[in-house]
Amino acid sequence: MAPAEEIVLSNITGGSAPLSEFFPGVLVFAHSDCPTSLLALRRLAGVSNGIVLVAEEEPAAAARLARRTRVEFPVLSQAAGLAASRAFEIETVPTAVRVDARGRVEETVVGWDHGAYERLLDTSLPREEPVWKPGCASRTMHDWTDAEGLDVIEDMFERGWTDGLPVVPPTRERVETMLGGRDPTRSLGHVPPTLGEATLERVAACAVLAGCRPEYFPVVVAAVEAALDPAFNLNGQAVTTQPAGQVIVVNGPVRNAIGLNTEMGALGPGFRPNLTIGRALRLVVALTGGGYPGRLDRATLGHPGKLSFCIAENEEASPWEPLHVERGLPRGSSAVTLVAADAPLSISDHRSRTPEHLAATLGWAAVASWSPFWWPLDTHSLYVLCPEHVDLFHAHGWEKERVRLALYEAVRRPAGELRGPGETTARVLAAPPEEEIPRWDDPARILVVVAGGPAGRFSAVLGPCLGMDAEVVTKEVEWST
Amino acid sequence: MEYVSPIDTSTRPPEAPNARPPEIAGRRVWLLDIAKNRSAEFLDRLEQLLSGEGAKVRRARKPTFSKPAPEEVIEKIVLHGDLAVEALAD
Repeated sequence: MAPAEEIVLSNITGGSAPLSEFFPGVLVFAHSDCPTSLLALRRLAGVSNGIVLVAEEEPAAAARLARRTRVEFPVLSQAAGLAASRAFEIETVPTAVRVDARGRVEETVVGWDHGAYERLLDTSLPREEPVWKPGCASRTMHDWTDAEGLDVIEDMFERGWTDGLPVVPPTRERVETMLGGRDPTRSLGHVPPTLGEATLERVAACAVLAGCRPEYFPVVVAAVEAALDPAFNLNGQAVTTQPAGQVIVVNGPVRNAIGLNTEMGALGPGFRPNLTIGRALRLVVALTGGGYPGRLDRATLGHPGKLSFCIAENEEASPWEPLHVERGLPRGSSAVTLVAADAPLSISDHRSRTPEHLAATLGWAAVASWSPFWWPLDTHSLYVLCPEHVDLFHAHGWEKERVRLALYEAVRRPAGELRGPGETTARVLAAPPEEEIPRWDDPARILVVVAGGPAGRFSAVLGPCLGMDAEVVTKEVEWST
Repeated sequence: MEYVSPIDTSTRPPEAPNARPPEIAGRRVWLLDIAKNRSAEFLDRLEQLLSGEGAKVRRARKPTFSKPAPEEVIEKIVLHGDLAVEALAD
């Protein structure tokens, strides 16, 4: 930190102004977002000798502050870095500091105090209420500039440690807190496409960057493990021109323990655990794996869910087995399931009164995914069913498997109708025109999870990631209460 | 401020390909089909042109375009080839 005698600030026209020119004297630190600063400056406006306003503002804003408060004494501006406020350890504005000829502090007044200011300046001031008022936080207390004047958030962008949004800098302390005593050198594998090694330390750095709290970390670790399972083929997903990203579905008690949102707004935004866990995985892919959009990630369009996509199943609103149990894990365990998927397409159905009609609406919505004449889809579509839709199925005694089969059976078109102007599959081209082609080649391609708030009949389907041989992968979360 | 990098800086930098030979007559040229739709059509034409220049053309194929070529495919090309062309189409 610079000694006070060496600090050079700006005047309101942007010219340089050594602070020492105002020694001895009274330095009044203030900024324009603080009502107490405005009050104090108006009360001090007529003082002419031995006082200077040291505004925590850029020159133009410092000039506006002077005009608003009608101060007639000199005004100095502190650019980014707030060197003078830091040198005098200003935490509150207004603060008046009387310094001697070498800039040493003789007396300080914090906030507005009529009597204290009269003594400090050895002059009388107009006596108006309030005669005392507490101050506000100095900009040193909440700006993002460290002591060296380097904006740490901008520094993260310059390093490229971002997904395009501001991140939390991964300081050694934060990363160690995220690790929680785990072995930082433990390797979860190599992340395509550059095959950077996902040590726990690097994964923790990504979790910090993403804004995770340490209690989310076991879910992040499980998600990275699942993503690196060769069956998931992250290699293909990370570099494809397709828009698909990696969707995390979380099941089990860990959801409620860390506050994952399963209800209203289940697909986001608004909920830190969902957003930061999904973001941490994407940062591992983009940074540790080098799959950064526009570079090795060659997605033509991408989609907003590639920033973060973490769904927690609303098991409490579901009469069916949760996804992880359906996939073989014990009830009571916690797990993540990774699905390679496109952006969600919302499906409104507020009128169906039979499960058959609802299944048809849900199923036919998937025609819009991938490509409309490309039948059948030979990989997974992820359905997120809202509780009201689930209630209708359940009221008619339908289990999840029956829903899946009903969707599969409902959506068929004759091959002749699919040989239209658009692209289609070899199967369609080879089939007799009257052959009914299903939307999916197998009912097992239809994944079903339950999420969302209690009101509203909006479900969603997440389109597939074709051609990647990307299997759905479930991993248990190593977690304890 | 000390930060923990999310990036593995030990990642090996990409290697530059060998210089293009002055002529291809008599050279063993592998054409690697990455299994994209219609890759074969493109490579058929390439094979025709290369053969016309006197190259000894051989073909290899990846099982899927979305995964790296299996080691045995890479090894075959490295051990028994002078040049390789990896091609896609769609």
